[in-house]
Amino acid sequence: MLGSLLQVLYFVALGTLSVAVLEGYLYLHFRFWDKRWLLPIGLLAAVAAGCSAAALVPLGRASLIVSAIATEACLCFVIQYLLRGRFTLPYLLLAPAVIGLLLLIVYPLAFEVSLAFHDLKLNTVMHWSRTGELPFVGVKQFARVFTTSPLSEVTFWQLLLRTLWWTVINVVLHVTGGFALALLLNEVKILRGVYRTLLVIPWAMPQVVAVLALRGEFQAEFGAFNIMLSRLDRWLPWVAKLGIGPVQWLGRHPFLTCTLINVWLGIPFMMVVILGGLQSISRNYYDAAAIDGASAFQQFRMITLPLIKPVLVPAVTLGAVWTFNNINVIYLVTGQAGGSEGADILVSALYKSAFTYYRYSYSAAFAIVIFAILFIVSMAWLKFSKSTESVYG
Amino acid sequence: MVERRAPNLRGLVIHGLILFACLVCVFPLLRIFSVSLRPGDRIISTDLALIPAGASFAAYGKVLKQTNFLLWLWNSLVITVTTSIIGVSLASTAAYAFSRFRFPGSKLGLALLLGTQMIPAGMLILPLFLMIMRLHLTNTYLGMVIAYSVSSLPFSIWILKGYYDTIPRSLEEAALVDGTDHFGAFLRIVLPLSMPALSIAFLFNFTQAWNEYLVARVILTNSLMYTWPLGLFGLQGQYLTQWGMFSASALLVTIPVLGVFLYSSKWLISGLTLGGVKG
Repeated sequence: MLGSLLQVLYFVALGTLSVAVLEGYLYLHFRFWDKRWLLPIGLLAAVAAGCSAAALVPLGRASLIVSAIATEACLCFVIQYLLRGRFTLPYLLLAPAVIGLLLLIVYPLAFEVSLAFHDLKLNTVMHWSRTGELPFVGVKQFARVFTTSPLSEVTFWQLLLRTLWWTVINVVLHVTGGFALALLLNEVKILRGVYRTLLVIPWAMPQVVAVLALRGEFQAEFGAFNIMLSRLDRWLPWVAKLGIGPVQWLGRHPFLTCTLINVWLGIPFMMVVILGGLQSISRNYYDAAAIDGASAFQQFRMITLPLIKPVLVPAVTLGAVWTFNNINVIYLVTGQAGGSEGADILVSALYKSAFTYYRYSYSAAFAIVIFAILFIVSMAWLKFSKSTESVYG
Repeated sequence: MVERRAPNLRGLVIHGLILFACLVCVFPLLRIFSVSLRPGDRIISTDLALIPAGASFAAYGKVLKQTNFLLWLWNSLVITVTTSIIGVSLASTAAYAFSRFRFPGSKLGLALLLGTQMIPAGMLILPLFLMIMRLHLTNTYLGMVIAYSVSSLPFSIWILKGYYDTIPRSLEEAALVDGTDHFGAFLRIVLPLSMPALSIAFLFNFTQAWNEYLVARVILTNSLMYTWPLGLFGLQGQYLTQWGMFSASALLVTIPVLGVFLYSSKWLISGLTLGGVKG
């Protein structure tokens, strides 16, 4: 107990110390930017720091020293010639976050790009982690993404189609369900708070728990859904004649199962966003429309939809990106050994090809292809939503 | 309006529909609860009753005694608290820079922060894992803290910037007149006033890291280092699911998370929709 508390304190102290060192380093540059000795002294210090870091780390010594010198030179150049001592405080305030993001987001992305042009897989990973050497293979990995299966059977193009279908069907169902619930909730006068609390539970629950629990309910013999279906058949024989009965959810219909789970998970977010938008629409519009004799549907089309659009468009964009990138649901449902490939979308196939099949370089190239697809689709969507905006004025 | 014609029936239908939706939303929770109460010899049954016959809390005792459940919770807690503290402190100063200063790159920086939300999560896991493996930090707290610490940073910066923007500048100007420097004004005036937003950012960081599964699965392979999602996944194995223990531990984990979320949801949601409303 105490040991772990000390561990937290230790990490926090480590973090604070490194931030303090970085800040002090930057502060000295801002303070003495106009001194002639700053560059030579700084370069010497960078060499010393690079060498001492290289002594600690067993790998990539030369590159450590070179990057320390390059950083110092860049910093001196930027501060002496571009900033000239201005904007000291904002840059000092930003520095820790920016360095964190550079090290843990920008650098990994760059590393991934370089990985995609090399050949790192299960056979070469040990050699790489000892020596840091990797065979260069050019664009071969990118070609393989389109020609060989990321998993064992399903091809890239099947995955792409399935991903688009998955995104569209999920977002449509999220928005429809969220809209319906929000409209209903908006009508209710009493108990609204209680309903709202109960309705956001799927969003509030830890996703791992929710998905694993629902996965259990889809189990063929003892899952609640099949139990209900078989009881329904017993009570109403004509339903059974229609062919509705217990289903091998996980074995035969993994995609349907994942979709149902993800729809259940995603509706509350849309509901909350839309409800917020509905409540900001003034009652007066509806009263005026009612006087003019507009039907409920006309009111919805002419008042609610246009006025909710500024809230809805960002939420749909966000929701679509989340759905496109959703590994959690699919992996938790089908990720175990022997799990089906029938539900995999691009990102979950990416995760499996990296960490179930250990094809690292291949996955890096695959990730870049996926990112390019996402980028193109979102740019097109942004253009589209901008152009519809001008229609509504 | 329609309400005048048949107010009672319409209201009843609406309440009925909403109640049904509520039931669907709560259903898995109720099921976990009921399975966790089943006695050991009747774990697997086609019974749908909420309180099963012969209900007992034995599964809870079994989870605490026979598995490393408490250890998993503790691992999660150490990793999560550390990353949240680091994340919020980095975000608090960065957000202040964005909120109060115009400097070269401020607009671009904010746009890039939003852009990071576009990066597929799966894309970052692989290089992070390889980096951490190469630094020999797999199966350590430090490796997990490194992997998690900046993942919620962009969002935290946006929330905090939004909150700082609502604090009047005149407060800081008064402090400047009284002889402190700008950083002192931030430390003594803006930070204490922002406690609500800071705690929301902390909670956001906390829940993100607390519920994370995919990164943890890659970095932690030793079952003594597992965080609770990994442990829970292990309890629901392919052929031998420990249903009673799985449900009991799932419920134990869910209840505090639900409480925290419902308590903080009002602010979290306003933070989420902030970007949209301000356009």
